[in-house]
Amino acid sequence: MKLGKNLSCALLLIFLFVVPIFIKSEYHLHVLILCAINIILASSLRAISTVGQLSLGHAGFMSIGAYTSGILVMKLGLSPYVGLLLGGLAAMVLAAVIAYPITRVRTVYFAMLTLFLGEVIRLVITEGREITGGTSGLLNIHPLEPISILGLHIDFATRLPNYYFVLIFMLIVLLFLYRVDRSYIGITFKAIAQDESLSASTGINVARFKAVMFCIGCLIAGLTGGFYAHYVSVLTPDSFGLFTSIYILIYVVVGGTKRFAGAIIGAFILTLIPEMFRTLKEYQPFIFAAVLFLVVFLLPRGIVDLPEQIKIMLRKT
Amino acid sequence: MLQTKNLTKNFKGLCAVNNLNLSIDEGEIVGIIGPNGAGKTTTFDLITGFLQPTYGNILFEGKDITGRKPHRIARNGIIRTFQLDRIFHDFTVFQNIVAASNLVARIGLWEAVWNTSTYSRKAKNTWDHAEKIIQFIGLDDKKNEIARNLSHGHQKLLGIAVALAANPKLLLLDEPLAGMNPLEVTRALETIGQIRRRGIAILLIEHNMRAVMSICDRMVVLNFGTEIAEGAPEELKQNEEVIQAYLGAEENAA
Repeated sequence: MKLGKNLSCALLLIFLFVVPIFIKSEYHLHVLILCAINIILASSLRAISTVGQLSLGHAGFMSIGAYTSGILVMKLGLSPYVGLLLGGLAAMVLAAVIAYPITRVRTVYFAMLTLFLGEVIRLVITEGREITGGTSGLLNIHPLEPISILGLHIDFATRLPNYYFVLIFMLIVLLFLYRVDRSYIGITFKAIAQDESLSASTGINVARFKAVMFCIGCLIAGLTGGFYAHYVSVLTPDSFGLFTSIYILIYVVVGGTKRFAGAIIGAFILTLIPEMFRTLKEYQPFIFAAVLFLVVFLLPRGIVDLPEQIKIMLRKT
Repeated sequence: MLQTKNLTKNFKGLCAVNNLNLSIDEGEIVGIIGPNGAGKTTTFDLITGFLQPTYGNILFEGKDITGRKPHRIARNGIIRTFQLDRIFHDFTVFQNIVAASNLVARIGLWEAVWNTSTYSRKAKNTWDHAEKIIQFIGLDDKKNEIARNLSHGHQKLLGIAVALAANPKLLLLDEPLAGMNPLEVTRALETIGQIRRRGIAILLIEHNMRAVMSICDRMVVLNFGTEIAEGAPEELKQNEEVIQAYLGAEENAA
């Protein structure tokens, strides 16, 4: 069993590294990069939710990372790599500052506070025209600088190097979050999500764990934002509105919140579907709503639960 | 070991706990009894930091612990259970105990992520600790069952086991016998006796009179937040005020 699991993981990895070489279309690569970005965002949102808090401001934290990195690189001439790291850091610092009050409220109140926070961030970006470009956006952000590793010259002007960059970043993030999820700390998180008072009564510092996980999730969102800024080179506040936050949440819910793979599968499928029906772009919210409804009614535990449901159905017949 | 000094809690004019002076010595089992709304659970909430007292102090092993956060008080060695079956319902029995063993585990986030050798050692310690607790409480055969599928009696025992996993010096049990059948009561009383033999002091809220009387060294009777009597079970049986406030009322009802 364990061997089989390791083997399939290895095969998947090889596939992820090899397959883009055969993809000639820049557009298809772009879709894969979007998939990776959304997988990272959804997984980090799920990580925050394992402690029992539902953030509706995730896109806001992503935009902090994106704008910080974009502005620092353009106005101060920093290296995009430094900008990216500082962007992540900025998102984390903001999360840490508001963590103290915000992790003291629960469930729906936490969701509301993060929702407003995300909107406040968006409004600040919209109004800060001199620095952020306002609604017309921050344009012509430099791509990541070319690097040379082992005599290999990598220029991020094309899509393929960006794919590898985000793929490696995604794998690091997923490995980290998976380790957290599966370790002793993961059990503590799930305990907090189930019953905060009971957890506290056994000596768990509930507020601290919630704050730490919130900060880690926002750090990841900020780093992703930083990469996004240099990848797409154009930032507008509307790309990081409430809808984006809700989409990230839908990825997690559709994939399944209970299992680690849920967020990954949800983000992957829901990034592909709208791209497949590109002509129906205007109807994207409808498509998402339809998928969400279907999943909630037919597979309440998300798409990850599909194999098990099929097994149960086969056993019945 | 534990002392409360003039402990008082007001809820918007209602005095839930009034000038309470409790004391528990090492190895003692003390029962708190009293009619519904007498302030028993509020007292527990005050001692364990879930509520802040309006007035008064709580001393534990000579240290003033008044106003500390629940997890800090737990780290000092005061662990409570809750009324009803407060356990981690989605966890297996084993996971319940493991989650509650964090004071034994002392595992940090980074250790866990990097999977260091210290982590493996600490994790193994924790698993062993959890195994011992499960054996002690007698749920070995239910180890991998999801907690919500257990019978009520087993859930109650698991609740006590969860508290025990945090290595208490003083254990606060809030109605540990509620809703149990006579057989389960006998078994739970045995367990409580064994816990005491491990050197853990116990403060107990319970409505099952015969059971508390049989197990407690000393009892405290509360009524409307005020202590109306204190003493050995045998003494209290003779106390007029107690009979009127509590025992008598129950007899009349029955």
